[in-house]
Amino acid sequence: MLTKSSSLMRLVGELKKLPGIGERTALRLAFHLLKSPQNLTALSESLCEVRDRVHPCSTCFAITETDPCSICSGNRDSSVICVIENSQDLMALERSNAYNGMYHVLEGAISPLSGIGPADLRIGELLSRVTEGQLKEVVIATNFTVEGEATALYLTKALKSTGVKVSRLAHGIPLGSDIEFVDAATVQWALQGRNEL
Amino acid sequence: MLQEKLQAIVLSSSDYGESDRIATLFTLEHGRIKGFARGARNSRKRFGPALETFARINLQLLRKDGLSSLKQADVITLYSGIRGELSSIAHALYACELVESITPEGHPVPRLYRLLTTYLERLDSGAGNPEDRRMFEINLLNILGYRPLLEKCSRCGADFGERGALIQSGGELACRICAATGFPMPIQALRELRSCLSTGRFGLVRFTADGILPVGRLLDDVIVSHTGRKLKSLDFLRQTSQM
Ligand SMILES: [Zn+2]
Ligand SMILES: [Zn+2]
Repeated sequence: MLTKSSSLMRLVGELKKLPGIGERTALRLAFHLLKSPQNLTALSESLCEVRDRVHPCSTCFAITETDPCSICSGNRDSSVICVIENSQDLMALERSNAYNGMYHVLEGAISPLSGIGPADLRIGELLSRVTEGQLKEVVIATNFTVEGEATALYLTKALKSTGVKVSRLAHGIPLGSDIEFVDAATVQWALQGRNEL
Repeated sequence: MLQEKLQAIVLSSSDYGESDRIATLFTLEHGRIKGFARGARNSRKRFGPALETFARINLQLLRKDGLSSLKQADVITLYSGIRGELSSIAHALYACELVESITPEGHPVPRLYRLLTTYLERLDSGAGNPEDRRMFEINLLNILGYRPLLEKCSRCGADFGERGALIQSGGELACRICAATGFPMPIQALRELRSCLSTGRFGLVRFTADGILPVGRLLDDVIVSHTGRKLKSLDFLRQTSQM
């Protein structure tokens, strides 16, 4: 019989801390891992490897295994920095193949209702990069949520004195969608941000 | 169980698990309620951006004690003017947190719903400022029955008149005979605060330069005495007002 302090129940407890995993799923995963000792070894080795090797880049704070990361040390346009909330956003922008500049990961967004303010993000480091470097433009690519918008507006004000050009990612109707089914707010934004042809 | 159609303002919302969201809503019909939106992050059709903070929405839900089940939400407005102005976002978030922290759960307060809507419309059309914020707060306190006595001393009942008024801890006003110490409240500022209660429109009452500070102090004290804690959004409000 398993006690609360048994190693299996500890594993279930750890799995339950992951997003979207409840008690039942955690138990199922734990018993699945138990079935194969090889799986358990591979998973535990991989977890340790990630812990020891992966860390934020000391320049842009993207998740990396080298420091500086491959983007900061690579052959890219260093006159423009794209500001994003997290490293997953960086991956999405890289998949687009439409951007060849540098990045700056804020590690979150300003969220006044959760008590997360500018000082809790990598904003000071961004301002240093902007004032020290030969920068032409900062592209703000935070999310289009209230938190992302608050962060974008805050950065715009904070960057004003540096004189650098600040731009914001455009937002509008998703490609391949039928305007009839797009929500009113998105249509409104798209109309406001329309382009001349 | 009956599916209801409600009007609501989203006070806050957070992701839950892989694809769900939990939102705190201020509804016209039932006051503050909590709702669970299953699949809200995957289903743009049923919710779209409707669970964004301070969005005004039409809502369909199954009402339950504690956590109602949200079926669909349609945006009336996301207040794009607020979302484009830092001081307006900061004030709107503060207003939402204040309503969430100070209202009773499941108890309709239609006058407060209209006040919050009017305030959000005001913030949507221009920058947030301390005068509108104080106008919102004193009316909110009045509607909820938490307004401090502005006409006379809370201890002896005398008109302030020549005696002058002092702010006491907990957000009370006492005359200079009843209280020896306290932050002085100009009589003119009390008059301005009272006129905030007789108009439903923002921008009509102007506070004198030396009145807005003590008015703010009094209202902050009253609010803290009812919420029991300092609101989280106040730090951001202060930071943005200094930019
Ligand atoms: Zn880097
Ligand atoms: Zn008295």
